[in-house]
Amino acid sequence: MGETGKGPSSSNSLQRVKLYRLNGDGKWDDQGTGHVSIDFLERSENLGLIVVDEEDNDTILMHPISSNEMYRRQEETIISWQDSETEVALSFQEASCCSYIWDHICGVQRNLHFSALSNLDVGPRPTIGTLEAAGCSHSNDESFNSANNELRELPSVEMSTLPLLLKTVLECGVTDQIRVSELILQDPDFFPKLLDLFNMSEDLENVDDLHMIFRLVKGIILLNSLQIFDRIFRDEFILDIIGCLEYDPEVPQVQRHRAFLKEHVIFKEAIPIKDPFVLSKIHQTYRIGYIKDVILPRVLDEGTIATLNGIITANNAAVVSLLKDDNTFIQELFARMRSDSIPHESKRNLVLFLHEFCSLSRSLPLVQQLQLFRDLANEGVFDIITNTLQSNDRKLLLTGTDILILFLNQDPVLLRSYIIQQEGHTLLGLLVKGMMNDFGEEMHCQFLEIVRILLDTYSLTGSQRDIIIVEIFYEKHLDQLMDVIASSCPPKVSYGRLHPHAATKPEILSNICELLCFCVLHHPYRIKSSFLSNNAIEKVLSLTHRREKSLVIAAVRFMRAIISRNDEHLHCHIVKNNLLKPIMDVFFENGNRYNMLHSVVLELFEHIHKENYKTLIVYIFDSFWERLMKFQHLGSIRAFRTKYEQSLENFGIKNTANAAGTKRRIDEQALEKEETYYFKENRPLSGGLVDYEDDDDEEDEDNHKPPRRSEASTGDNENRKPAKSKRKSVSKVEIKDELELSKKQRLDQWSGDDSQANATTTSSPSSCTDNTINTVQSPNITPQIQSDKGNSDKHSNENEKENPAACSQHNCLPETADIKQPNIEDCPLTPVSSSSPEMVVNSANSEPYSVR
Amino acid sequence: MSELDRQIEQLKRCEPLKESEVKALCLKAMEILVEESNVQRVDAPVTICGDIHGQFYDMKELFKVGGDCPQTNYLFLGDFVDRGFYSVETFLLLLALKVRYPDRITLIRGNHESRQITQVYGFYDECLRKYGSVNVWRYCTDIFDYLSLSALIENKVFSVHGGLSPAITTLDQIRTIDRKQEVPHDGAMCDLLWSDPEEVVDGWGLSPRGAGFLFGGEVVTTFNHTNNIDYICRAHQLVMEGYKWMFNNQIVTVWSAPNYCYRCGNIAAILELDENLNQKFRVFEAAPHESRGVPSKRPAPDYFL
Repeated sequence: MGETGKGPSSSNSLQRVKLYRLNGDGKWDDQGTGHVSIDFLERSENLGLIVVDEEDNDTILMHPISSNEMYRRQEETIISWQDSETEVALSFQEASCCSYIWDHICGVQRNLHFSALSNLDVGPRPTIGTLEAAGCSHSNDESFNSANNELRELPSVEMSTLPLLLKTVLECGVTDQIRVSELILQDPDFFPKLLDLFNMSEDLENVDDLHMIFRLVKGIILLNSLQIFDRIFRDEFILDIIGCLEYDPEVPQVQRHRAFLKEHVIFKEAIPIKDPFVLSKIHQTYRIGYIKDVILPRVLDEGTIATLNGIITANNAAVVSLLKDDNTFIQELFARMRSDSIPHESKRNLVLFLHEFCSLSRSLPLVQQLQLFRDLANEGVFDIITNTLQSNDRKLLLTGTDILILFLNQDPVLLRSYIIQQEGHTLLGLLVKGMMNDFGEEMHCQFLEIVRILLDTYSLTGSQRDIIIVEIFYEKHLDQLMDVIASSCPPKVSYGRLHPHAATKPEILSNICELLCFCVLHHPYRIKSSFLSNNAIEKVLSLTHRREKSLVIAAVRFMRAIISRNDEHLHCHIVKNNLLKPIMDVFFENGNRYNMLHSVVLELFEHIHKENYKTLIVYIFDSFWERLMKFQHLGSIRAFRTKYEQSLENFGIKNTANAAGTKRRIDEQALEKEETYYFKENRPLSGGLVDYEDDDDEEDEDNHKPPRRSEASTGDNENRKPAKSKRKSVSKVEIKDELELSKKQRLDQWSGDDSQANATTTSSPSSCTDNTINTVQSPNITPQIQSDKGNSDKHSNENEKENPAACSQHNCLPETADIKQPNIEDCPLTPVSSSSPEMVVNSANSEPYSVR
Repeated sequence: MSELDRQIEQLKRCEPLKESEVKALCLKAMEILVEESNVQRVDAPVTICGDIHGQFYDMKELFKVGGDCPQTNYLFLGDFVDRGFYSVETFLLLLALKVRYPDRITLIRGNHESRQITQVYGFYDECLRKYGSVNVWRYCTDIFDYLSLSALIENKVFSVHGGLSPAITTLDQIRTIDRKQEVPHDGAMCDLLWSDPEEVVDGWGLSPRGAGFLFGGEVVTTFNHTNNIDYICRAHQLVMEGYKWMFNNQIVTVWSAPNYCYRCGNIAAILELDENLNQKFRVFEAAPHESRGVPSKRPAPDYFL
């Protein structure tokens, strides 16, 4: 602790204040007492004022500091401003704390101004003078001036006055910081003299003085004055300043920063840079970064770091801007890169340079960045990269991909336009090939990322160009990728898993699979024809044969993507080819182990049943139920079964056929008699039953809630029936397990069933009006849920869905919570507590939450 | 000494591994984590630790107070990275311990174990600075997707980074989350990692964090009752005393980053549960300055621009 030392701007980050808001009556409401700090607000890059209540640590204020907010300082201890319609005031316990925060606000505003301006204008640090003025406009405040004026001058810089100087700088109280900065700047000899003293002390090896100078220089840096930085980072001073910073009294050994900078750091010139100004900026930028990241990282506060980053960004922008405007420079660069007579090492450096150049150009204003990248594209940068990607030098290859990523992040159109030309085909081929190549341990390639961005036509308008790329990819490359998968996943032999040394590395397969998932989601129509025709899905599913669980999971996720297209053709294709079998096989093989594979398959089930994909539901049930039965202790499996039963009811005519089909399978698998009995006798019955599509989800829950235990679940139904007047059809399935009588009886005792039955009954009438098939209602439900929490991605959507369903019941059965309690493990849908109605956020427009 | 043991020793000295070693370590960790459940079972005795946030030397203090792994069985509640100067070393050490002693240390995911968040709060930049490329960041964020979401100690103490979710009333509902993904912006998985308990909220409230929810005492009571657990143990919020009970001892926040961000002035705590689940909080302060090395943030030693 205490590493930040005594600098005024680094201490006191938690400071006591009272928070007031002006109410409608013009009175100040006390909002609580807490500690104020300036920090980055969560999930944003903005610095803000944060007040944390001192009693319960609640955050009672989070105010992003903005550059155009008018903050006011009143008396010694109050800072106020207009915060979204109301006036807010912080009343400080300590005037010094108030000054400290005030100064930070000014500093942050100054930086905001600076970065705003430097975005508009490029060049060597423009408008600094005006910035200072703008940032400190508050210094006209009377109290501010009166405080400042006390400090009229600094002692001249002598060895003997160092302690006094140090004291002044360290204890100048925050309001005086700017004044102290001004005084330092007024004396043009201040730094030359100080650095003379430093050199002298260093010659004399006077450690105490060196320590004092360290603290003084550190203190001056923490004044966070842009003009002071401007001065001390000049070529003539910066190395000595860094020298001063080698003598940290808190670090036992002298840090040899200058030696590192002079001897170890290499400035590489791929193309000689002639402009001395540019050269000076380049070196300065590196050294400022070094001071910030290596020498003083734990000393600097956010404000100072922001200032330094601002300087670095402005420098980078200046350098790139000057170089790009130097026509001869760019031309020479490209001429050399194209030249055949240049040794490999130089060429390598040129590419590395190009990368740094492109990468730094991000400091430029957007328009200029775009222009620069366009110019580079015109100069033939993609030809260069095409060559680079054929190199055997891995570092070079990686750099080539990095450059492409920079271009893509900037404007994918440039690369796309190139790719659709004949010569660009090579590049796309290289990129796809890159995805399939094993580059050894050292490298993680970005080919996946690049190809994905190229194929991401979804976000764009789908112009002709983008469509062409997608076409080229599907025609030429998709099969290649598929074949990599297919060839590295030999089929499983019986139950054991063979192929200990399947050639392709798992990360390559996983990347390919990820790209395919992306394709499924982004090219719904294109993918359909490709995937239906070529056994493509089967090939991807062969990943389930791999030993690596992560790949098995990737295959399941791929299937999830296909299924979520909600395309009946695809669904039928899956059924026809029994494509869920490999997934079911791994799921069953995994058994009751609760791991990622288990969860990802259950999630798939949930998805299928929640979205009510009938074809798949029937298919899964008919094909796999005998094995799935063992998992009935899981809520999602029970819910699935319920959904299946409902599907049957709604299928009407189809029933008979299905039942027959089912029967055949069952016979094949030699099920117990009871089960056969059920299928023969009961299924037709179900067709005539009242449907309750509307409360689908709720009903699922209702239905499977009672059979809590897996074993029990199969046995309880007959007994449940009387209570659940309309649910007989649903429960019928479970007749078979008469052996489970004892458990059944146990279940009977759950009086909760009655209330559930009530819930069902009450909800049914409304549902009857909506007498279509089930599919209608999942869309009905979804929007409600989405409106709850805004647009949610597919996944969370599903999670939420189970929630309202659960909630909807709870008002009917508060007591069931108790009953179920012993069996938590197996009851996924226990009603929400009585507190759920207060779902403050959601209640407004979501029926499923019972709002009370 | 095995290669892995050597790497652990190296990491304990706060020296990062080579890029290729990181890759190999992550692949091994993946194989272990993929077998863990969304609600990972943990046996007592166990020592529960909250946020670390890259404060490597403070984590070493933690191990001094709590004992070394594997002698002590640890459960870390996430937020290993960001903010501090040594996210890389901190996370890799924990991950290496996980690979070496999979049954003696459990790591679950915090909201900072995310690609998006780490790009803003420091881990991304740190990787870039220390390795000159973001590959290590990619390996690590890929492995984040495999971290479990919560833990259940002896069926009695539910542990999670953030808190509860309105979409989760029973622990079994967590089972059907496909956790192999970036932390989503909403939904159950997001809430588990982002939510906070809140005294003044009845039921559920909007979170000022912009993700997750605030939840009140009644929500906790019901959840604990429904799931037959004694209390919830979570992290995610700075508490000046290192730990804080709420709602009549139904939920406790444990915070293990002393002097958070090297300037908050708080103390840190870990919660030791013995085999009978008796609690003992051990508090500790930040590592003294001398014991810290020079931050190894050296930039690449050569530059063009």
